[in-house]
Amino acid sequence: MAAETSTASRADGRTLPGDINMWVFVLGDMVFFGAYCVIFMFYRTREQDMFLQSQRHLSLATGVINTLFLLTSSRFVALAVQAVRDGKHERATRLVGVGGLFGIAFVALKIHEWYVLSHHGFALSTNDFFMFYFALTAIHVFHVLLGMFVLGLVVRELRRDDLQRTWVVEAGATYWHMVDLIWVLLFAILYVMR
Amino acid sequence: MSSSARTSVVWLALSALTLASWWLRVVHDHGALSASTAATVGVLAVALVKGRLIIREFMEVRSAPVWLGWATDGWLSVVWVTILVMYLV
Repeated sequence: MAAETSTASRADGRTLPGDINMWVFVLGDMVFFGAYCVIFMFYRTREQDMFLQSQRHLSLATGVINTLFLLTSSRFVALAVQAVRDGKHERATRLVGVGGLFGIAFVALKIHEWYVLSHHGFALSTNDFFMFYFALTAIHVFHVLLGMFVLGLVVRELRRDDLQRTWVVEAGATYWHMVDLIWVLLFAILYVMR
Repeated sequence: MSSSARTSVVWLALSALTLASWWLRVVHDHGALSASTAATVGVLAVALVKGRLIIREFMEVRSAPVWLGWATDGWLSVVWVTILVMYLV
């Protein structure tokens, strides 16, 4: 196995996947999204009926399919990390590629959802619910796009025989799973809660 | 169970939980969208389980240093409890 493993191993056998800097960044992002969701709830409690009526116009099926896209993508990226640890770099590259394709599918469906909603006259300015819906999903899609860039860096790393560092692949995967985690929270409060 | 099999089982569980929330709304409640405390508590509980599965299994916090487990569980607790309390009050 040519890959250099920089993952921090400790005496108790516990290891930090990836890189401490990535974890600091990911935990910080989680705090920000948590705060956005609390602010959303603050407005929702003030106008609960209006939020519920507005929520009716979202397609639950689209939200569910997009959730399945990201969960499936995460699965392939998690399998890629395991393949790298086994020294199977070509397999890992393919798995990251498939994970990225599901990320593209997520973004495509999200853009379609925005298009359909705007076609029906819903926009940021419609009311507070749609202001939050469009803003939160747009910030999240920005993170998905950033995540796909990170997956691209991981593929580049895997294709270079002189690199193939396990911790780089782990750090990229940590970010990608965070994107999935945040979506699970957004899906619950925007599409399903009532 | 191998790591890859475990990952696939977790993925199946996450997908099943997602489909369950769909089934609850579309089949069980016939698409009704009236306020429901029971449904919302259920939705938040399912999302909490999904979130923790992603953190513990996909992000591998299960085998990470203990402080990371505390940090992520702390995040889950603060966010979910705050949302629930704001919904109920």
